Amino acid sequence: MTSKWLRWMPAAAVPAVIAAGVLAGSVPASARDPLPDKTPAQVLAMIGQHSTKALSGTLEQTSELVLPDVPQIGPSAGPGTGSIAELLTGPHSARVFVDGPANVRIQVMDRLAERDAVRQGNELWLYNSKDNTATHVTLPDKAAGSKPPATRMPGSVLTPEELAARMLAKIDSTTEVTVGDDVEVAGRAAYSLKLTPRSDGTLVESVAIAVDGEKGLPLSVEVRARGQAEPAFRAAFTSLKLEAPDAGLFNFTPPPGATIKELVLPGRPHAAKVPGKHHGPGKHYGTGQPPGAQRNSPSVTGSGWDSIVSFPARTAAPNTGAPNAGVPSIDNLLTDPLLRQATVTVPGGRAISTSLLNVLLTDDGRVFAGSVPLERLQAAAAAR
Amino acid sequence: MSHSERTANTAGDARRTPSSGPLLASELTLLFRRRRTQALLLALAAIPVMIAVVVRVSSTVPPGRGPAFLDRITQNGLFVGVTALIVAVPLFLPLTIGVVAGDTIAGEAGHGTLRYLLVAPAGRVRLLLVKYVGAVAFCIAAPLAVALAGAGIGAALFPVGPVTLLSGDVVEPGEAFSRMLLIAAYQTVSLLGLSAIGLFLSTLTDVPVGAMAATIVLSVASQVLDQLPQLEWLHPWLFSHYWFGFADLLRQPIGWESFTSNAMLQGGYIALFGALAYGRFVSKDVLS
Repeated sequence: MTSKWLRWMPAAAVPAVIAAGVLAGSVPASARDPLPDKTPAQVLAMIGQHSTKALSGTLEQTSELVLPDVPQIGPSAGPGTGSIAELLTGPHSARVFVDGPANVRIQVMDRLAERDAVRQGNELWLYNSKDNTATHVTLPDKAAGSKPPATRMPGSVLTPEELAARMLAKIDSTTEVTVGDDVEVAGRAAYSLKLTPRSDGTLVESVAIAVDGEKGLPLSVEVRARGQAEPAFRAAFTSLKLEAPDAGLFNFTPPPGATIKELVLPGRPHAAKVPGKHHGPGKHYGTGQPPGAQRNSPSVTGSGWDSIVSFPARTAAPNTGAPNAGVPSIDNLLTDPLLRQATVTVPGGRAISTSLLNVLLTDDGRVFAGSVPLERLQAAAAAR
Repeated sequence: MSHSERTANTAGDARRTPSSGPLLASELTLLFRRRRTQALLLALAAIPVMIAVVVRVSSTVPPGRGPAFLDRITQNGLFVGVTALIVAVPLFLPLTIGVVAGDTIAGEAGHGTLRYLLVAPAGRVRLLLVKYVGAVAFCIAAPLAVALAGAGIGAALFPVGPVTLLSGDVVEPGEAFSRMLLIAAYQTVSLLGLSAIGLFLSTLTDVPVGAMAATIVLSVASQVLDQLPQLEWLHPWLFSHYWFGFADLLRQPIGWESFTSNAMLQGGYIALFGALAYGRFVSKDVLS
């Protein structure tokens, strides 16, 4: 009898071994040397100072925004709003390759498909394997030569620490900044910088940023909403290598047979073509704006986390010959059938409610948005 | 080759030499000479042929419709193999594995040949191992049959050229072919856990059809559970969870994370159900 029981021993031992292995893997590496204590200002300074130029890693993003149900987007829907809404729902995993500011490749890994964004210098390619389309964008020169903050303000004597201290002092009135227990992200020890709104009037409960203990590189961001156990939004590296990726990765040529689209950036339609023709920076910036832009400019009420952004009703500003026809603007968004489906009717208009952001579209065409309860948006709308 | 003939062979061989070599060789020949195994492999090879012929005679496929890569086949024949592998993953491959793995022990018991096999000093553990290796050999052969038949028919009916990966990068046909073989290897690994489950179920019964059906039902059930968002905590533990992860082999650079997670998961299933099969088979009263 005993020998019969002995024969079942391996079957009992295997789950025990697996469970032990899983437990050992999930226990944070507390044996690791704890990071030296730092104040919030020092951790902020680390972020400002970090000089990580090259990395390759995998990002996991999860969001529990409690978005309204949007029907699955078919291939007929353009690359505009649909894919953005899609990116905000459910989990996503993306590989990120960076080598300096001008060489970036992001691969959003879908099931049996992939969406790529490849930037090499001024060239930006967007590729979608599902419908085999490639979109080419020529970036304006300014973006390509984005300089580190230090060179942008010559004569500045502020060290990153001082800058961080000033920033901290500025946000301190609205936000409590603390450094929590060390965390481990992608196998690296990191400081956990926690921002907690001092106001009760916001939907945001806290924002936590994991800052690499060695390099100062932010490794994860987690936003929690009030009254929700799961983080509303979380993006974190699951693996990270701080070495330059293969240079060939940034050299993208659209595959044969792909549909190629050329996208001209809105706002600066002539910048790429006739660089010598503009007369001055001030005038140049104004040219690309649609005529109604000034009247459409948003206004902000409230401060800090309670801010409400409001867009006035659209005065009839015909976008004649606007170069940004394919780009979703506020106006396009308002008439988007997808958006109409996503809204619910509330007193005073229609609303989109998520756990982090509420948007109110009033019946007279104004838009109010903020990280505040819907009632506050309605009150703001009624106040005008 | 009949079962009695084979039993006599193995019994004789095993008495002469204590190694498992002859027993294994006999098991493999028996497995692949069996009409049923050949029919299963032929049915698997028919999938890419069917796809290729349908695409060849029909008009162009609009992108984004049907199984992944279907629209690329007309441009590149090598995609036939990949498309067929994708089509075969959820049902056809588990079906054939279920038949082979479910038959391992229960088949011998059903034929009444199991006790003769055990008369030889081969031992029950060795028999179990040999039976499992036989099932593994089929796990290697099945995806390979799909991939090779796909590459063959694709090359015959369509042009073969550089292949566009999911990332939009283009690789030469040679590398594309090796990536297809990698996908076949990935699927072999994917099916190892299911084979171990089939082996265990096969030790429970003397009716081979019962073990086969139970294995196939489990594979479908696992995939259904994997679709339920309410059971998210369970998903990484389902043996079918990484079955579609082979897409990472079609990215540039190749992502090996899903391959390693899949291998570890399948290893766990092999250990657990192998141990269960051992416990059951060693303590079982073999009457037939």
